Amino acid sequence: MTAYTKAETLLKVEDISLSYGEKKILRDVNFEIRNITRPDVRQGQVISLIGRSGIGKTQLFKILAGLKEPTSGKVSLDNGNAIKAGDMGVVFQNYYLFEWRTVYKSLELAAKKNPELKDSGIKTAINRYAEDFNLTEHLSKYPQQLSGGQRQRASIIQQLLNGSEFILLDEPFSGLDVLVLDKVKELLLKISLTDERKTLIIVSHDIVTTVAVSDTVFVLGLEGNKPGATIKKEIDLCERGLAWQKDIHKEPAFIKTIEEIKSYL
Amino acid sequence: MKKIFSPFGRINRQTFMILGVVQALVALVLWHFASNGLIPRPLKVADAFIKLITSKNLLDNVLVSFVLTIKAMAISIIITLFFSYLSVIPFFKNIALFLVKCRYLTLTGLIFIFTLLTQDGSQLKLSLLIFGIVPFFVTSFLAVIVTTDNQQFEICKTLGYSNWETLYEVIIVGKADQVLEIIRQNFAITWLMITLVEGLSMSEGGVGTMLIKFNKYNDLTNVLALQLVIFVIGLFFDFILGNLKYWLFPYTKLQIQR
Ligand SMILES: Nc1ncnc2c1ncn2[C@@H]1O[C@H](COP(=O)(O)OP(=O)(O)OP(=O)(O)O)[C@@H](O)[C@H]1O
Ligand SMILES: [Mg+2]
Repeated sequence: MTAYTKAETLLKVEDISLSYGEKKILRDVNFEIRNITRPDVRQGQVISLIGRSGIGKTQLFKILAGLKEPTSGKVSLDNGNAIKAGDMGVVFQNYYLFEWRTVYKSLELAAKKNPELKDSGIKTAINRYAEDFNLTEHLSKYPQQLSGGQRQRASIIQQLLNGSEFILLDEPFSGLDVLVLDKVKELLLKISLTDERKTLIIVSHDIVTTVAVSDTVFVLGLEGNKPGATIKKEIDLCERGLAWQKDIHKEPAFIKTIEEIKSYL
Repeated sequence: MKKIFSPFGRINRQTFMILGVVQALVALVLWHFASNGLIPRPLKVADAFIKLITSKNLLDNVLVSFVLTIKAMAISIIITLFFSYLSVIPFFKNIALFLVKCRYLTLTGLIFIFTLLTQDGSQLKLSLLIFGIVPFFVTSFLAVIVTTDNQQFEICKTLGYSNWETLYEVIIVGKADQVLEIIRQNFAITWLMITLVEGLSMSEGGVGTMLIKFNKYNDLTNVLALQLVIFVIGLFFDFILGNLKYWLFPYTKLQIQR
């Protein structure tokens, strides 16, 4: 079992609810994301938010990103401030990019908003990420000329350059073939290793893939007859010894956990 | 052969061109045999067309109309962009919406007011044209702004852009190609109105003036020949603006290839 401790709270979600008119989509959503530290390893957090189609994942995602006001409740950072758009990097489901900018220009615009990158640093940073993510030869292209996977990587780099500690990803595994899927998993791991406080929040309905890369799982679902989805279960994969391992999905304990998650859906 | 008549049928470029030529020829032949003396036959019009385009008179007049069109379009686009960009600010939104509704004001009724407001014929023509064009430009451009994908704004927000920066990136830079497209599409309207306003102040000439003169003397052959000239110039402009768009905004071509 890997040693770890849970340190300070990075993100706090309190009593979030969301209704459209009479229809309650989310109710009493409460959870906390804490900085997980491991001796001798600099590693961030990977959180997954799992739920059935139409349950409200994207809505919660937008609230976390500060793009949508919840009907009530609040999301706050560790300094106590309420979250606002721009605090979190967001990779949308369809890997949206500025269609009128070349990839390089898009990345440069994102990097300019990062106070930690100065003029000369921007170019170096872009080239380094492009190298890491196999995108160097595509930098001068327009988004329309990229494949789905390349777009996804470009939009991830864009958010990385932007420099937020949190990166939210909506369905990052949908529509990818098996080989690319492994690449993306590797890539997410790489990102989480860049900084102790770096936190990835993955919203997905691909349970196996998502859980395999996560350290904490939140299951979003309906409870009894109450209207609105809420966090039905939090599963600490570190505690179960299922986090940070490469070929985890063959382990019986992992398979059991997947079954357990399915039962909550 | 069957493909030519089936919906979404695909035919190659060459077949398409041949088809076009054949259809044009048929139309000309029909025209030739249908005209009963009142309407001049195609060959006669063609003859007049050649005479017309080799005359200096035409060149001078076309130039007059041309300069006026360009001037009016340039000023109109500035006014349009100004109000359209600002239309995202609540205070200016009403003004933009009012401009759109101005399409329903007919120019003819306003000629007198404009005559009072302007100093001379050329100013009158210019201001009438601008007044005629701007509502159409604004209508087209507001439609472009309104249909902006919400995700474009969301990505700006998540990158930490201020509202002004978002306006610049998404509307001003992001829609620049559309501005050219609007100019192209509305050039036809401008070109249509030019013949109208030139009839008001004939002293400076222009194709509109020529057209009125030909009509006055019942010179139908020349009227049709001149119409042909106007038509060709319009097509030429359409072509130039279309290519300018691909050249200035290469990504627009990529979208079409998809
Ligand atoms: N503007 C809206 N007005 C009313 N209801 C809405 C609105 N937007 C979303 N909903 C409802 O909210 C619910 C949750 O939608 P959401 O997009 O969050 O689902 P999801 O969990 O992301 O599903 P998927 O996995 O299919 O993407 C849906 O039932 C949807 O109909
Ligand atoms: Mg969704």
